Amino acid sequence: MFQPERNGGPKLAPRRHVLVLNDVTKTYPNGRDALKDVDLVVPEGDFVFLVGASGAGKSTLMKLLIRDELATRGTVLLDGDDLARLPRRRVPHVRRKIGIVFQDFKLLPTKNVRENIAFALEVTGTPRRRVKPAVQRVLALVGLTDHAEQYPKQLSGGEQQRTAIARALVHDPRIIIADEPTGNLDPLISWEILQLLLRINELGVTVLMATHDADIVTALRKRVVALEEGRIIRDEVGGGYHRGG
Amino acid sequence: MFSFLFFSVSRAWQGFWRNAAMSLAATATMTLMLLLLASFWIVQAGFLASLSYVEDKVGVVADLEDDARQADLADLQARLGTMPEVRSVEYVSKAEALRRYREERLAQGQRDLTQYLAENPLPASLEVKLRTPEDYRTVASFLGAESVVAKVQNIEDTTDRLVSLTSFLRTFGVLLLAVIGAIVLFIVINTIRLAVLGRAEEIEVMRLVGASDAFIRWPFVFEGALVGLLGAALSLGVLMGAAEPLSQFMVGFFQILPINVGSISRDVTLLVVGAGTGLGVVGAWVSVRTYLIR
Repeated sequence: MFQPERNGGPKLAPRRHVLVLNDVTKTYPNGRDALKDVDLVVPEGDFVFLVGASGAGKSTLMKLLIRDELATRGTVLLDGDDLARLPRRRVPHVRRKIGIVFQDFKLLPTKNVRENIAFALEVTGTPRRRVKPAVQRVLALVGLTDHAEQYPKQLSGGEQQRTAIARALVHDPRIIIADEPTGNLDPLISWEILQLLLRINELGVTVLMATHDADIVTALRKRVVALEEGRIIRDEVGGGYHRGG
Repeated sequence: MFSFLFFSVSRAWQGFWRNAAMSLAATATMTLMLLLLASFWIVQAGFLASLSYVEDKVGVVADLEDDARQADLADLQARLGTMPEVRSVEYVSKAEALRRYREERLAQGQRDLTQYLAENPLPASLEVKLRTPEDYRTVASFLGAESVVAKVQNIEDTTDRLVSLTSFLRTFGVLLLAVIGAIVLFIVINTIRLAVLGRAEEIEVMRLVGASDAFIRWPFVFEGALVGLLGAALSLGVLMGAAEPLSQFMVGFFQILPINVGSISRDVTLLVVGAGTGLGVVGAWVSVRTYLIR
């Protein structure tokens, strides 16, 4: 399911770029620059931590990636699509290439685990016969097969986040964008979620994770992109949460 | 296409029952508002019927010369018949006039004194019914100029007053109905907006997982239609239950009116079902739109 070559095989070089930001600036109507001159290239299969204090521009960057906002200047390419030039009706198709995971899970309380995951496929017009097997696969992947019939309020925080990750994965996305996915979880559960994201990354899905969790970032020695006042101040592979950390 | 329709309808049904409290509140509001609208419509219909009943009574009565020639009379009647203001012309002979007078006296319980008269003192007359009371003056002056006419009975003042009163009442009735309609519109749309607002998170999740606008919108639109249809069914149920005792109560009043109960109940059914569905659909469409435009 998470094969690197999809859509009938590799179209470009093996390490194609899932995400390219070129000289991106985002200015809000109130005149504040949330992002300034940001250049960022994320090749397929990368695992990237996005770090920075609150207000550094992490959320704005994420909003640009899911095209909730448009860049004031510069280009944002997602899997080759220029988001600024994308017609409105094509936006949903691009969003299906992204799996989004939030700090507050955003599960629907009136639906059980299975329904929450299936929901992502149903509302995008997936034929019914394809929904069930896809849901079973991601349930197994996140280890929630036994909890499929439970409702979000019956689950622990970690289980809820795993449900949300399963929902993000069920579309077979090219990239998982996780916005503080461990922000509401205690350290042990946070590690569990990280293990899950690493496994998904090993299966070939690019992961971009915004976080405040210095322990995790420093321990994993992955690529770290640090934002400060809207600018990228550091982009290094194997870095810690803090410079030289 | 069919699977999309199936998806939308089944999601609408699910959405309705999984948010039962909100849905039922919206349905209750819809029902009450439709009842309000229907009641005013019925009152308005009865009211308009009463007005035209009263206006029908307005006509021009021209007393004729006793020595008028039959040919001149026939000629006048023919010319009246071609006037666009005239709806009908009735010739009342001297004998008929006397008979009507006697009948009237009798109905009032008064003694009939006409039997003591040597000859019939009542003139023959033409009773002209008008299309609208506003034309009174035109027809009256036309008749006044005719040689066979002895005198046009003058009810000008009464007619003027009646015309200004009925046109005021008509305008007032239409305005009142428009105001009620606007109130119903705003209340229903706001109720549905609240129901949709309660599911903002659901809509947001749909957007984020890449649902197209149609997949987000139509289930809500169908759900709005469901609320509207349910509200309409409930209102019609209440109206039908109330129809029997109500018409019993009003039978004396409505009997004299040229009112068509069949056409009124058909109009009210169309109004309630149409307004209910329309309001539900428009309300949902407008409310969801807020979340789609970004």
